[in-house]
This record gives sequence, C-alpha cells and structure tokens, in this order.
Amino acid sequence: MSFEDWYRQDRLPHIYCAGCGNGTIVNCTLAAVEQMAWKKEDTVFVSGIGCSSRAPGYIVTDSLHTTHGRAIAFATGVKLADPDLNVVVITGDGDLAAIGGNHFIHGCRRNIDLTVVCMNNQIYGMTGGQGSPTTPLGCLSSTTPYGCAETPFDLCDLAIAAGANYVSRWTSYHVKELEKAVLAGLQTPGFSFIEALVQCPTAFGRRNKFRQVADHVEYLRSHSMLKAKHDRLLEQGEPVPGDMFIVGELMRRNRPVLGVKP
Amino acid sequence: MTRTEFWQGNTACAEGALAAGCRFFGGYPITPSTEIAEHMAVKLPKKNGIFIQMEDEIASIASVIGASWTGARAMTATSGPGFSLMMENIGYAAMTETPCVIVNIQRGGPSTGQPTMGAQGDMMQCRFGSHGDYAVIALCPASVQEMYELTAKAFNLADKYRVPVFLMADEVVGHMREKIIIPDSVEQVPRKALVKGTLPFKPDSDGIPGFPRFGKGYGVHVTGLTHDERGYPCATNPKLHESLVMRLVDKIESARHEIADFDVINPDAEVVFITYGAPVRSVQQVLHDHPHDTIGFLRIRTVWPFPEYALAEFRQARRFLVPEMNLGQIAREIERHTKVPVTSLPKLGGELHTPSELVAAWEAYR
Amino acid sequence: MKLAIDETRCKGCNLCTKVCPYKIFKEGKKANRKGIIIPELDRPERCTNCRLMHLYGRTLCGVCQLTCPDQAIHWVEELPYEPHKVAIEY
Repeated sequence: MSFEDWYRQDRLPHIYCAGCGNGTIVNCTLAAVEQMAWKKEDTVFVSGIGCSSRAPGYIVTDSLHTTHGRAIAFATGVKLADPDLNVVVITGDGDLAAIGGNHFIHGCRRNIDLTVVCMNNQIYGMTGGQGSPTTPLGCLSSTTPYGCAETPFDLCDLAIAAGANYVSRWTSYHVKELEKAVLAGLQTPGFSFIEALVQCPTAFGRRNKFRQVADHVEYLRSHSMLKAKHDRLLEQGEPVPGDMFIVGELMRRNRPVLGVKP
Repeated sequence: MTRTEFWQGNTACAEGALAAGCRFFGGYPITPSTEIAEHMAVKLPKKNGIFIQMEDEIASIASVIGASWTGARAMTATSGPGFSLMMENIGYAAMTETPCVIVNIQRGGPSTGQPTMGAQGDMMQCRFGSHGDYAVIALCPASVQEMYELTAKAFNLADKYRVPVFLMADEVVGHMREKIIIPDSVEQVPRKALVKGTLPFKPDSDGIPGFPRFGKGYGVHVTGLTHDERGYPCATNPKLHESLVMRLVDKIESARHEIADFDVINPDAEVVFITYGAPVRSVQQVLHDHPHDTIGFLRIRTVWPFPEYALAEFRQARRFLVPEMNLGQIAREIERHTKVPVTSLPKLGGELHTPSELVAAWEAYR
Repeated sequence: MKLAIDETRCKGCNLCTKVCPYKIFKEGKKANRKGIIIPELDRPERCTNCRLMHLYGRTLCGVCQLTCPDQAIHWVEELPYEPHKVAIEY
C-alpha cells in the first residue's frame, strides 16, 4: 500500500506542466493520507479552481471541484453535515487568499476540522501567469509587467492570526518534511493549514529568471530558513534577510474545534 | 392529528422544511428572511440537524451544496442582494445536479432597495440569473399555508429532479401572520441512489442520474467543468457540452406537466387575471367581491418551468391581465406563449394591488 | 528491487536527478520518441530502497518517488538471474 493507490490510474498522466511542483505536493499529501489509514470511502477532497485544484480529479475518493475561492465554504458544509467524513481541502494561493480570503479567515476562526493544503506558486498558473496576492514585490507576471508593486500576503501569518489550530510551511523541495507536516495536520483536530511553496516553471519561472526547473527548486531550498533558526536570529538581534521563507511548524495549539464528533 | 396555528409566513416556511426532513441550514441574515434562519437555529439542533450562520451568502449556498452531497436535505434563505451573490454557486448546483432549496423572500430592489417592503423583482433572475443555460424550478406561495406546503414540496422536487428549487416568496407573505392548518405528516420522496457500477452522471430513462452521495464508496468526482458520464472534466468537447447542457434543461422542461401546479378559475371568461405570489390575494378579493364567472383567473404556483399550456385552458380569453409587483417580468413570458393580448399591471413600492385597481383594469377591457 | 522510470509519464524535468541524496541519476542524452530526455541511472547500486526494501519491508528514502511530479518512478522486482544493474523500463 503506497500513496500511488490513491490515484485514479486511468486519469494519469495529469495535465500539469513538466516540472510543476503541484504533482510533488499531491504525492506528499496522499502519502500522509495513506499513513492515517483512512478508508477511501470516508475521505473527501474539496478544491476550488486553479492548477492546484485540479488535483482531486486525479484522486480516487469522492471529490468536489467547486467554484473559485469557495472550497472552504463547501468543505464546511460537507464536514458539518457528515462529521464522519475526513475532509481535505486542496487549494492554491489565488484561490485561497484572493477570492477565497474571506472564507479562509472564517474557516480559521471557526476552527472547522479541515486540513487545507495550499500550493503556493506565487502566481495564477492556470490562467496564464497573472499576479497573485502572494507574488513577491518586484516579480514579473502578466498583470505586473513592471514588477509587482503590492506587498504580498504571508498566508501562514494570516492563518495564525485568524485562529487556525495547526499551521506549517514547507516547500516542494522538502518532501519528507512536508509529508510529516500534512500528517500532523490531518491528525490535529481543528483547522490545519499547510502552505507548500512550489515552483511554477511555465508561468512564474519563465518570467522571473528561473530558466530551469531545478534552478527554482534550488532557490526554494536555499531561501528556506527553519523556524528554529529564525527564532534564534531574532533572539540574538541579527537581521533576517527579507526574501527568506520561514519553514517548519509555525503554530500548534488547542483552540475549541467545530465539526468533530464529541 | 392536524393542528391549527397562527404563524408568520417565515415561521411556516421553516416548519415546512423541518417537516420535509431538512437537516442542514446554512444562511446569512438578511431582512426579510432572517426569521427563517432564526427559527432554524432554534429548531434544527433539536432534530439533530445542523444550523450554521456562514460569513456571507456565497458561503451559505456553498455550504448547502456541500451538505447536500453528503445526502442531507439542505436549504438556505435570503433576499434580493444575497440572491445576486449566490448566482455563481446556483449555476454550480445546476451543473452538478445538486438538490437544494433556496428561499428568496423578495424585497424592493434593485440594490439595497426596500428591505421591509415586498416585491417580485427577482422572477427572471431566478430563472436566468446564473451564466450559461440551465433550468430550475420556482414555486410561489401566496399565503402562510402555502409557505408551509410549498417549502415541503420544494424538497421533494429538488430530490427528484436533482436541481436547485427556488421558493420565490415576498416580504408580504413572509412577514404576515395568518391561520395555518398543519398536517400531521408531510410526504417525503427521497432521492434515488445511484446503482453501484453505473457511471455517476449517466442518466436513467427520465434523464436524471441516480445520486451518488459521499461516503458510500462511489468515488465520484463532482465538478462544475463540463464533464462526461464518469464525472471527469472534458471541457473541450463541443458535442459533449451540448448534450450535457441540453440534458440539464430537458430534464426539467420535458417534465413541465408533472411539475406544474396551477388553478384555473372561470375558464370561460373573456378577461383573465394571471398571477402568482402576493397579488393572488388581491385577485382573490376581487373574485370574492364579484362572484360572477366573467372574471377568469389563472393562479400559478410553479412559475418556472412556466406552464404555458395552462394559457390554452382559457379558450374565450380576449385579454390577459397580469398584476405583478415588478415591471412585468412574467407578463413578458406569457406574451411569448400566446396571441391573446397581454396587459401588464405593474405595482412597485411594496404595496399590494388594491381590489379596486384590479376591478378598474378589468372594467377597462371588458 | 530495481528502480524504473515510466516513460509514458516522465516529462524530463530532472528533479529526481537534483534531489536524490545518493546521486543515482544523471541527465539523459538522447530524446525518446516523445521528444523527452529521460534521466538515466548512473549509480543505481547506491539506491537504498532498491537494496534494502525487502530487508526492511517498507520504503526507505523514496524521495525521488515523492518528488516526481508525474508519478513516473516506482520500484519493480528484478527477474531472477537478471544482472543486478537496474535499467530503464520501456
């Protein structure tokens, strides 16, 4: 039994571009689901719109591919109406933080028992590479041809502030840690948010000087800073470089939960 | 044991839903439908149902659709501004054939309009509000008794035809208090389940697939993209899209005779009132005051799919008078289906048509 | 066990080449019939999973399989009397 059993083999190979990090994240998510020993008929994947959200179409369980940004609202209905189902939400940075921002913060506030895996490629991939709320300052995209002028969201900070029970961030390079993080999220009752920074070679990489997929993954690896190191630097008063991603388990707490059977 | 109560229209709507087995309500407060949400908040937990107040109307209808896929009878209630917000997800429910009930207690529009005054300005929107082609069912109650009965009927229709069903009431009927006789039980016709081994979106002979609820091992992929019978997205196939959309529309349009619910009064009259919802009460008062059979009346309870064949019941009709609390939205639909001249009697502002206004209109064309 | 790259799925992104801790892959030279340059196995005997999966009864390492965005990597049994050098499956 491995995570490959959770794929709809008749639907592979999937539509993702060569080198897209989404495939990696789905592998890790399914590996974690496999470790939870859930039954396939008790698991439901819900997603919005975008490259990331096409993933449930390749997974063998019941799945709900909904409208743009509303995945968490649909998932709330599914989970509350049948708390025996295990609901995992797969979404992207634009789907979650732009149009879905309101549902995201309310999902965190309610602490509804969902696990949300966000594939953050810092761009709108499916529609051709427009800027997203997480596109870094100065980066090029088709709607920010002079460099992005808006400060991006820190999705994990949002989740922590809004009240999620478990928040962690990893990248598509850190596959083993990501699998463990998703597993911890699935195990933690309440709203678990796992942000995975991924490479988008076709939309982001091509416009932002990552000629090869491996270059972008290398960038993600070298600009990841473990939370422990980050905290240590802050304690010592050292400056933290601005473009580093803080990775690791960023929050784990025990706020009251909605949607778990007593 | 039937019992008699004196209830508000909104209360009757909520009670009708509960009697029909509604076990999930996801809503957002909006005048004049808030009482439905409040009543459900009190009563649903007692019946092991779920009530949740979502963060906006978009999330409300989303949670209702999600809950419906777990097999629960789910509903939401809103008014004009919230109705406009829900349109995208209503299209999603139509495309994925999700049964759900949406109550719209219409109020003066457009925009914020008149929150506490009735109107019927959303009738076209409920049929055509979402983008693309699809078909829905809309019921219009004219009394507190009908709020109860039609809400209960809406769930059966939604489950049978796997379509969003709208209860298009208005603030007048929603907020009025009236005597209601409550039957001891309401017939519940459950959804037909998908036979294991059949493709999830393959229609049966009536054009409607069985319902593969989540959690039973069907492994169904539900998507708003154009999909084939397996449920998998195939968005670039023209023939597939055409056949899917035609099936979604035909399953309702071809069943218009079974779905229709209307009363024909005085079919030999030459001047006929046609209406639905709150103006029915005004016409009923006119018929009460002038009990001769020269005043015809077609009282419609299912406005969509529009029962155009009912117009033919009035063989001697020379003129159709359509009093509505909008600028003639259904009068326009009637005009399409008949050669008899149609006069729209619009009334905006929230007040009902007075019987004397209607009598004056009738006299003008007699 | 030997590692096999499914040529119907591999899209030639070479992420496996970069992430393998034992550097068992190297970039391929020739394009296949689909025009994709599949990575070749340079030092397959260093793959811990290939060597030890039977001994431990579970997947060891497996980073390449988790990383591969196209689910193109899996392990297959070697046939008896096959020389113990893993090869690409066609």
